[in-house]
Amino acid sequence: MDEKIAPHLEELTRALGDIEETGIRAEFDKLLAYRVPPDVAKETILRKFGGKCKVLKVKDLSANLKSFEITGRILDLGEKSIRPQNGITPQEGVQEGSSKLYTGILADDTGSVSFSSWKELPGSIGDVISIRNAYTRIWQNRIRLSIGEHSLVSKVSDSSVPSLSELSGNQAKKIIDISAADFSVKAVASVLQLTHREVLVKGRQSKVVSGVLGDETGRLPFTAWIELPGIDIGSIILIEGAQIRVFRGMPSVNILSSTRISPVKPEESEKLAFNFESAGRDPLPLRMDEISSRDSMFDVAAVGNLISIRPGSGIISRCPECGRVIQKASCRVHGKVEGIRDMRIKAVLDDGTGSISVTFPRELAEAIYGKTLEEAEQLMLSDVSKDAVYEDLRRFLTGRCLAVRGNSSKSEYGTFFTAEKVWVPDDDLAVRVVELLHRLGQDEEDGQGIDAQDRDAQDRNSQPSNGGIDLA
Amino acid sequence: MRRTGTHSPPMEELTLLKREVAKRVFAKELEACRELEKSSRLDFQADDPKSPNLLISPLGLILHRVFIVGVITELDSIGTQNDMWKARIVDPTGAFTIYAGQYQSDASVFFSTVQIPAFIALTGKVRIYEPEPESVFVSIRAEEANAVDEDIRNRWVVDTAEQTVERLEAFSDALASGYRGEKLREYLLDKGVSPELAEGISIILERERAPQEFAKLLRASIREGLKSLDFDSENTEGANADQKEFVLELLKEMGGYKGVDYGAFVDAAVSRGIPEEYVEEVVRSFLEDGQCYEPRIGIIRLVG
Repeated sequence: MDEKIAPHLEELTRALGDIEETGIRAEFDKLLAYRVPPDVAKETILRKFGGKCKVLKVKDLSANLKSFEITGRILDLGEKSIRPQNGITPQEGVQEGSSKLYTGILADDTGSVSFSSWKELPGSIGDVISIRNAYTRIWQNRIRLSIGEHSLVSKVSDSSVPSLSELSGNQAKKIIDISAADFSVKAVASVLQLTHREVLVKGRQSKVVSGVLGDETGRLPFTAWIELPGIDIGSIILIEGAQIRVFRGMPSVNILSSTRISPVKPEESEKLAFNFESAGRDPLPLRMDEISSRDSMFDVAAVGNLISIRPGSGIISRCPECGRVIQKASCRVHGKVEGIRDMRIKAVLDDGTGSISVTFPRELAEAIYGKTLEEAEQLMLSDVSKDAVYEDLRRFLTGRCLAVRGNSSKSEYGTFFTAEKVWVPDDDLAVRVVELLHRLGQDEEDGQGIDAQDRDAQDRNSQPSNGGIDLA
Repeated sequence: MRRTGTHSPPMEELTLLKREVAKRVFAKELEACRELEKSSRLDFQADDPKSPNLLISPLGLILHRVFIVGVITELDSIGTQNDMWKARIVDPTGAFTIYAGQYQSDASVFFSTVQIPAFIALTGKVRIYEPEPESVFVSIRAEEANAVDEDIRNRWVVDTAEQTVERLEAFSDALASGYRGEKLREYLLDKGVSPELAEGISIILERERAPQEFAKLLRASIREGLKSLDFDSENTEGANADQKEFVLELLKEMGGYKGVDYGAFVDAAVSRGIPEEYVEEVVRSFLEDGQCYEPRIGIIRLVG
């Protein structure tokens, strides 16, 4: 028997590393005990633990990622005993006696993230560990790296991950680099907007400050659960130890009592790459491949063509209780209700590098459609087709070029964009043409030292041949 | 024991659900596209029937969905029950062939009402038909189409030119680097070229024998196309006519009836505040309507 399985074990070791320590060997033997043929068992193990495993950094983490590999240094580690509730056994496959949950913080050169593990880790604070088949979950509005039964954890002795002191020193981040996974953030930013609100927290009236922070790279919303004396719109502040929470898919900087906030001195702030004016300027349109490459972006602009108006655009009914879109006067939470009429447009905006699904709320929908909700209702009532408004929207909008400003967030179905502003771009095409002609002429093979005369003659010479090909 | 069937799909499969980007491409580049063999791709999965049939252009652009804006010049109802539309949409570099059948009902309904000629915006997926090795037909199967105005067409031409020029620049850069294959791909990624284009360029450079030829042709074609654009045709007509008159007067003044060196003439006009592009455009229109001719290359002479 051993002779038969030895080559398979060897292969598994080659592919997955130390199989004795990680419990793979035990799993393999279990399959054999069920009389699974050794080669099938080997493949099963390879599929489960091996396969393509993306290597990610902390900054790449987003909610609900699966089977990736990550390496980082443990900054903090603690354990909790989890008592099984009323005889329910702890998670399937958890090794005997490990009704313990290990939690802590893992960091690499791109950030830090909190993690939880059902397994005892092969390292402690200060050690570098590598996790294969890790996954992420949202836990209390924060992204958490999870180490589960499928995960393989190994200690890395010799690693390029920065040392403990460097990592806990917490490098200041640019706003654009702050990700939802960040555990603790240090940043210098300008306060662009600020409002005071009173909210009910656990039955108590508390003061909350919320607003927008910005630097030369981008903006993010923030919420402060403490008072911010002396800080107002226009202040440039240093924030240390802020937490990142995810609100509607968007990272938000949370300022808590443990967060240190200090104003940046005027002579210091002069050295920064931004000031209040520049950070507060309207965002320039980004290419959609850049927008789609990020999990979420707050307050950005994009320009593209409306290549498709999606079903569900036009006049809709909303539940008066919860605002959900309802069908046939029945809300899926509140049952039969008297719907409130509303109008919205859902469309695909595409710039050739990427595409985003944009939702235009009523006021923006009315602006780009050129008809008010009431006018659209007239159209709906005067036409026999129940899709009259949708069809009219498609005729009017498909193909048109629009610029939008708002927030984007990514899901497995693509990048979604909530428009807060919309306009027709009015950049000067003639200027862009001059620029393009310059670029086209520039790296002509014999372009150097050529004067306008020759270049033009060349163009004209090449014309007949172009014409010939066009007609072919 | 867990069944292997419940194993979670890798991330790549999830992203397949994402909407495909509609690429901007000129007719001249599209008609030169060829099929991209799936086996030449990096993330090639032999048993994945879901992946679409992609085309690759001579510049390494990998294509499936496209968005085009142009002038519809021909429209025919074909098929046994007249249930299929064939259209020709022209851009400044050439023409696209469009098909819309019963499964493209949105586009078919649109084609049944459209007037010719008109500016049309259209999204569709590219198809290739190769009855024999030397005869290849590239067409677009329409998804959605709509009538638009000239401003949207002009904007599309400029957007498409910008994206094509960007790719042309990456392509020249790739050629100049002398790298091939994996090394070239890494080089392009380092230069900030998108992963897809970096892959496309390294695939096409393995295949093309004279890669510069097409790039040169396309450059010339785009240059002509851009010059033919007529911005703000309504509101600046008067001003244009004035400037045209001025260019003509200047030509006469410089001895246009005997023949003027074109380069010197452009310089003179530019020094009097007429943009170079505009001078070129006016002279071209004079050449076209026979007001002047070229006795020798580089010399223009007024007729009469």
